[in-house]
Amino acid sequence: MSQDQKQDIQPAAAESGLHDKGLSKGTVGVLGLVVIGISSIAPAYTLTAGLGATVAEVGTSLPAILLAGFLPMLLVALGYRELNNAMPDSGTSFTWATRAFGPMIGWMGGWGLIAATVIVLSNLAAVAVDFFYILLAQLTSHPEIADLTNNLWVNIPTTLVFIAAASYISYRGLNATKAFQYGLVGFQIGVLLLFAIMAFTSDQPFDKTPITLEMFNPAGVESFSAFAAGISLSIFVFWGWDVTLTMNEETTDPKKVPGRGATWTVLLIMALYVAVSLGVLYWAGVGSTGLGAGNPANQESIFAVLSGPVMGPLALLMSLAILSSSAASLQSTMVSPARTLLAMGYYKALPKSFAKISPRFMSPSVATFAAAAAAAGFYVITRLVSENALWDTITALGLMICFYYGLTALACVWYFRGELFASPRNIIFKFLAPLIGGVVLLVMFFATAFESMNPDYGSGSNIRGVGMVFILGVGVLLLGVVLMICMRITQPAFFRAETIKTYKILK
Amino acid sequence: MKLLVGYTADDRGAEAIELASALVSGTPEAALEIAIVLPATAPFNAVYPGGDHGYSSILSAQVDQWAEQALARVPAGISASGVARSVSSVAEGLIELALEHQADGIVLGGRKRHRAGFFLPGAIANALLHSSPVAVFMSSPPALKTLRNAHGKLTRLTAFVGDRPGAKDVIEQAARIATDCALPLRIATLVLPFDVQDPERDLEAHVQSTRAYLAELTGSMNLDVNIEVVVGRNLDEATAQLSWQPGDLALLGSARLATDRKLFIGPKAQRILGNLSVPMGVIPNPGSNS
Repeated sequence: MSQDQKQDIQPAAAESGLHDKGLSKGTVGVLGLVVIGISSIAPAYTLTAGLGATVAEVGTSLPAILLAGFLPMLLVALGYRELNNAMPDSGTSFTWATRAFGPMIGWMGGWGLIAATVIVLSNLAAVAVDFFYILLAQLTSHPEIADLTNNLWVNIPTTLVFIAAASYISYRGLNATKAFQYGLVGFQIGVLLLFAIMAFTSDQPFDKTPITLEMFNPAGVESFSAFAAGISLSIFVFWGWDVTLTMNEETTDPKKVPGRGATWTVLLIMALYVAVSLGVLYWAGVGSTGLGAGNPANQESIFAVLSGPVMGPLALLMSLAILSSSAASLQSTMVSPARTLLAMGYYKALPKSFAKISPRFMSPSVATFAAAAAAAGFYVITRLVSENALWDTITALGLMICFYYGLTALACVWYFRGELFASPRNIIFKFLAPLIGGVVLLVMFFATAFESMNPDYGSGSNIRGVGMVFILGVGVLLLGVVLMICMRITQPAFFRAETIKTYKILK
Repeated sequence: MKLLVGYTADDRGAEAIELASALVSGTPEAALEIAIVLPATAPFNAVYPGGDHGYSSILSAQVDQWAEQALARVPAGISASGVARSVSSVAEGLIELALEHQADGIVLGGRKRHRAGFFLPGAIANALLHSSPVAVFMSSPPALKTLRNAHGKLTRLTAFVGDRPGAKDVIEQAARIATDCALPLRIATLVLPFDVQDPERDLEAHVQSTRAYLAELTGSMNLDVNIEVVVGRNLDEATAQLSWQPGDLALLGSARLATDRKLFIGPKAQRILGNLSVPMGVIPNPGSNS
């Protein structure tokens, strides 16, 4: 994989205002791509973090909403792929939205992505810490150790250590190897299937709920707001899948591998999600008492509660699977906000120091630690002001993903506006798919944001009668607006479109 | 002489260029190849969400800028060019580039790694010291200070040799470098009491015979060298006996364990390296058929 980049002294500035990038030879086949896709999704982590909150919204229609949530993800991802093919060098919502809609909306697109990743980082770290203590308790047979995570004096420092370690690993540029990813993904799938099988073959389910076809009917969801909330949560559980579509030059055959890899990944992950969610419904029901999946006390982290009763001593495996998947994601996700911050610094949308690259490790330095500090700060604040920090952050995250995904999808339509009807292919992939996907997600965003003002929304945490999710989600976006205005005043070059050119029309 | 500089855009890289420039200046066809090594693309570490984020293009622009700054550091009279490459291992990448560019050696700038008074090579230097097919030159900030005290010019080479057959190879190569650089050569041998059976009686005789052997050897090679045989109770003490001047460069040979034309530093040489505070070079085994 040696990538020869013999370089001239002068950077080769392309006409677009972006620099050239060397080509790397493809080594990833279909199986490899499926592994990469599943590791980006991190199913063990997303299920424990997202399943409970989704059940709270849609009850027994869980499988239906999981399947329905994939549709807008698919539509948006198709638009993503077009943007990625047209501008492979930029590869981020920030540059794409800037080029399509101009600096202001582009800035907010970048901010949305950074906010979403910072929120998910804090949640990943929290889940990793929970299962770290659960695993310790299971290993030592001292159940009281698992309760340590409820002690803020233990929980917050441990979480900060996890975040610091992950950011240091990212900064050092240490990479997961192929064998490591295969092992991690195989282990996660195995343990989740084992959970589903044990739930169905259990002698004494907590609240045996018969599986019906009605569970697969999205129309069975009671209200539109529940549907919207369920969709934005199920976007979260598929978040990561689109990586399979955007990998091109890394694959052995860019014409076939990405499409096949993406298809197999989604089939596999859907089968897994349906199996596990049916297992949960069958074993625990949606009752709001005891071990029921509808019990708000269980919804923050569903496997923390259910894996013990369902799997017995084998619950150890579940803890290990979730700990490893969330810790690995914590490290790999850290790279994402760091790179967007770096790109924003480089194009002068943020102070220049964000563009610093470590000459030793060739990784973003200031940006990596800024992302880690933001995730740590976000976690500490959420933990201190909300009793149900995990739940609220996941719902706020769904909101944020809907925002930047929707924006990027519309950026696709606008960017290609000169060629939308040039061919039937363009009509589908550059116009209809991203337009419908983007509009659906933005509608979900506004609907959920509006609902979340209600103090009873989600976990029921609120500050002075305003729902916690609204404060987290919309507050973070408004903070972005304030920062953007500060940047516009202090360093206006980016906002005058001097660093990234906005396309008037593409022919 | 042509040297490949393993460059990082910090003080270490600047020091490597200073040392490399001192080594090649005045030699015929003085040239430096400034190598910036980037991490290999790792598809199994997919960045999600958002993929590349434009990182590779920003990084390559940054590397261009670094290369420009690096080339500006090279003194006039030395031809220099830059090369950047993504590799999975930095040491392997430097070796690959050194062979491709037919460089006579690799130069690294080390950070200050003195632990309890000892210089320890970093991970990359260490890997090179056990596998490089060409000479490896290293410095550390204190070592480079001695070079700066000589206004950035080397004034003398000191080759460490034993009294074993390998001495001839090391002296030959050191002499070649000394001739190329037009520098006086000093041959240093460390004698320890346990080299002889009865130190009380035989030590002085052993020192004399070693000196005579080296004098004869260098005489047969038509070399005009300064021979120093120093005695100490152990390697650290013996090394400390040697006097150093600004602009000195120490040269060590590979262990006899090294395969032909490969570098493999032995425990003795490593111990000596730890005591030196001048820039140093380690030369590969010349191979039995050279």
